[in-house]
Amino acid sequence: MDRERIRNFCIIAHIDHGKSTLADRFLEITETVPRQKMADQYLDRMDLERERGITIKAQAVRMEWSPRNGETYRLNLIDTPGHVDFSYEVSRSLAACEGAVLLVDAAQGVEAQTVGNAYLAVEAGLAVIPVVNKIDLPAADVEGTTMELADLLGVDPAEVTGVSAKTGEGVEALLRRIVEEVPPPGGNTLLPLRALVFDSSYDTYRGVVAFIRVVEGKVGRGDRVLFMASGTRAEVDEVGYFSPDMTSCRELEAGDVGYIITGIKDVSRIKVGDTVTGHDRPAAEPLPGYREPKPMVFAGIYPVDSDDFQELEDALRKLKLNDASLTFSRENSKALGFGFRCGFLGLLHMEIVQERLEREYGLNLVITAPNVVYEVEKRNGEVVYINNPSDLPDMAVVREIREPYVQATILLPPDYVGPVLELVKERRGIYQDMTYLSGRRVELRCRLPLAEMVVDFYDQLKSRSRGYASLDYEHLGFLPGDLVRLDILIHGEPVDALSSIVERGRAHEHGKRVVSRLRELIPRQLFDVPVQAAVGSRVVARETIKARRKDVLAKCYGGDVTRKKKLLEKQKEGKKRMKMVGKVEIPQEAFISALRVGGEGKTR
Amino acid sequence: MRLYIHWPFCLRRCTYCDFTARTAQPRLMRAYASALRRELEIRAGGPGRKGGLRSLYLGGGTPSTLSGREVGELVSLVGRLYGYRREAEISVEVNPATWREEDYREACLAGVRRVSIGAQSFDDRCLRRLGRLHDSVDVKRAAREARRAGIPSLSLDLLYGLPPGWDGNLRRDLETALELRPQHLSLYALTVYPGTPLGKAVGRGEVPPPDEDAAAEEYLEAVEFLEGQGYLHYEISNFCLPGHECRHNLAYWRREEYLGVGAAAHSLWRGRRLRNRESVLGYIKDLGRGRLPVVEERRLEGAEVREERVMLGLRTSLGVPHRLLGACHKAEEMECLGLLRRERGRVALTAKGMLLSNAVIAELLCA
Repeated sequence: MDRERIRNFCIIAHIDHGKSTLADRFLEITETVPRQKMADQYLDRMDLERERGITIKAQAVRMEWSPRNGETYRLNLIDTPGHVDFSYEVSRSLAACEGAVLLVDAAQGVEAQTVGNAYLAVEAGLAVIPVVNKIDLPAADVEGTTMELADLLGVDPAEVTGVSAKTGEGVEALLRRIVEEVPPPGGNTLLPLRALVFDSSYDTYRGVVAFIRVVEGKVGRGDRVLFMASGTRAEVDEVGYFSPDMTSCRELEAGDVGYIITGIKDVSRIKVGDTVTGHDRPAAEPLPGYREPKPMVFAGIYPVDSDDFQELEDALRKLKLNDASLTFSRENSKALGFGFRCGFLGLLHMEIVQERLEREYGLNLVITAPNVVYEVEKRNGEVVYINNPSDLPDMAVVREIREPYVQATILLPPDYVGPVLELVKERRGIYQDMTYLSGRRVELRCRLPLAEMVVDFYDQLKSRSRGYASLDYEHLGFLPGDLVRLDILIHGEPVDALSSIVERGRAHEHGKRVVSRLRELIPRQLFDVPVQAAVGSRVVARETIKARRKDVLAKCYGGDVTRKKKLLEKQKEGKKRMKMVGKVEIPQEAFISALRVGGEGKTR
Repeated sequence: MRLYIHWPFCLRRCTYCDFTARTAQPRLMRAYASALRRELEIRAGGPGRKGGLRSLYLGGGTPSTLSGREVGELVSLVGRLYGYRREAEISVEVNPATWREEDYREACLAGVRRVSIGAQSFDDRCLRRLGRLHDSVDVKRAAREARRAGIPSLSLDLLYGLPPGWDGNLRRDLETALELRPQHLSLYALTVYPGTPLGKAVGRGEVPPPDEDAAAEEYLEAVEFLEGQGYLHYEISNFCLPGHECRHNLAYWRREEYLGVGAAAHSLWRGRRLRNRESVLGYIKDLGRGRLPVVEERRLEGAEVREERVMLGLRTSLGVPHRLLGACHKAEEMECLGLLRRERGRVALTAKGMLLSNAVIAELLCA
């Protein structure tokens, strides 16, 4: 097809603002998917995605559409993940497009991540089309949201399109705008091949499927290609596009979006952001913007039953096939036995991995509280990176501990500034400045230690702003802090999996909270169990879990032993969810919730 | 052999009871009684019934919603169908609100040798809160009347671990109970089950939940007190003067065979556990059609038999042979904690261990 009639675009939206529903309408209107085959939210294919209503893996779908001007256009919709954990993936998806639909829920207004991603799109030189969704909702504030969007992008409110992805109202007009306003892709088909890998997926039979945007040149079946960052060489078995199922074709050329399959089985050899070029006629330079995915959040994952270790390793390896940003290495905890220290892009990423391990592989796991990576400078000048608090070297040889900070942007209604500032202070945050975006929304900027974010900052932010505040952040690098390791001893034995690194001045208070939390989480045993928090050899907090005194079934009515048997079975079942540490049975959830002091609930 | 007969009717349901019991309606009771007779007849025809009964236990529900004469007739019918051994133990559970001296006399004449009186407490306010239809005076009267009628073995049931603020006091109740000179005492910890009226009241926060530590204290103090008064602590909840153990109940703990007759009755017979259907109407219907009301029949495998023997045997002061536990190292740990004692190749729970029997048994069987 003539490149003049190709449009590559993506949809930028916050979770639940209706991105997938809008994509579904596109698929319907362009008759890419027959109406009867339309499952809701076609693009989110993983069960987990559908359940949580979020997109984890980006998808790219090609649609052919003829507006009533006689021409047929090829619209490539590149779906982007909607969560800050995956901001690098977002930036790669943006780099594959010329235009972006900025979708905002009229009932919710602009959220922090939307702002962050909108700026990314503008910086990437994309044509941005502002759209207000859910105009059919009675609770919608179409006018206010329109003003906000116009302010955000510095455009006239008249340029904001209103749609209802649910009813389809305004969606065709939006498609027309995409055709009119998103520029066609440039790029010379005669130059050596340069294609951007913006995502990949794994197929058990065919290996890695690399999603690519061809920037220059062309690629066809049988071509020999080179992945410039990883140095991987391969022959192309198949090229094609998604419509939305995989459809093979002869070749893809500059401006096109599609996939290539090379028979490579290892996803870490084809990385998001890498540039594909020709093996025989390579490009001089790769496309800009490639970055190694760097995990920022770490947690130990252990099988409850040590016999499952091998199974866990296999499962992690399989997950990694599809998820290059997941890292794992074996580790040995005195308390939990053999397991893995896993690295994640963020908390959502961690939860997804954990859920998939449990759901898809049926594993029974203990997950330690998440922690960040620390940069430790020893007195001899050596610098080491610690991703497990229990690995922190003896303080005598440590000159300085530095921890990662983030630049956080919080959008919130003015009424909640007070409580949110309070939270920022509690979490060792450094307030920077505040701007009124409109009468009903303030942008607050601050620096926060990432360690405070990974505990429950987001939950607290939501709860203290009644759900109105939203958060976006980017990594700032390491800053020094006065930090110490807080150890937890249960029944006199240090439990390495419960160690954490905290600010010295808060060790006592933090220790008290963890210890009293553990007293609630650990059921009474057959003997007294002391629980202590210590910095070095100094105990900073202590509680005792008193021995259980009574657990007895009184009566056997008329020789009915079934009650006792049922109880026994229940007790056996319960034991399976416990981890023995020394002689003490500790429930799995204690390992993660003990350190999540200050609030319950999942983080998204 | 041993026979249990279940009588699932009560005058009123107690607030803590989570067993299926029905209010005593005369017509339904009559229909049930004839179904019961039918089941007794059918079962008497089976194999292994020779030699007569070692014990008969009439439990419920409230068997004393039948009159003493009716109980006597039932006892006699069983005698005609199965025969009694000379030393047979025949027990009936009696609610103090029901029988008069005449009833005890009739029952005694028919052969009842043991009466278990559901006293529960000697505090009238506690009794009301538990939903009992009698007061403490009724209990004393019942004990005196049973004795006068010639019943040679008298047992009293008491509850402990009542909700804080109810002024339950096991020690005080025991002192009152001992004035009645019972040969046998059963002490049961009050268990709050969610679906019961008491459970709901606790759920709503109207009644504080029982304090387990306080209940444990009450129990341990009671054990000491009763042993000082010459009672043997022969099972977790049961105490008796020498020679007055409830042999029928001991058979359950020892996994001896027994037949259970009536709705929801259980049997252990020829290596199988059997269960009758629970519904009273269903039970009556089944027997009306001449069918046995058994809804579950399971042959037990070796491992399960061992588990049962440990689980049940450890309830008694005699305990179980040590070899039953296999190579379990947990026994030593439990012994160190003072929960288990080992003597002459047997292991048994200490009083402290009995209080924690569910947990201790789970430890021993999970290892």
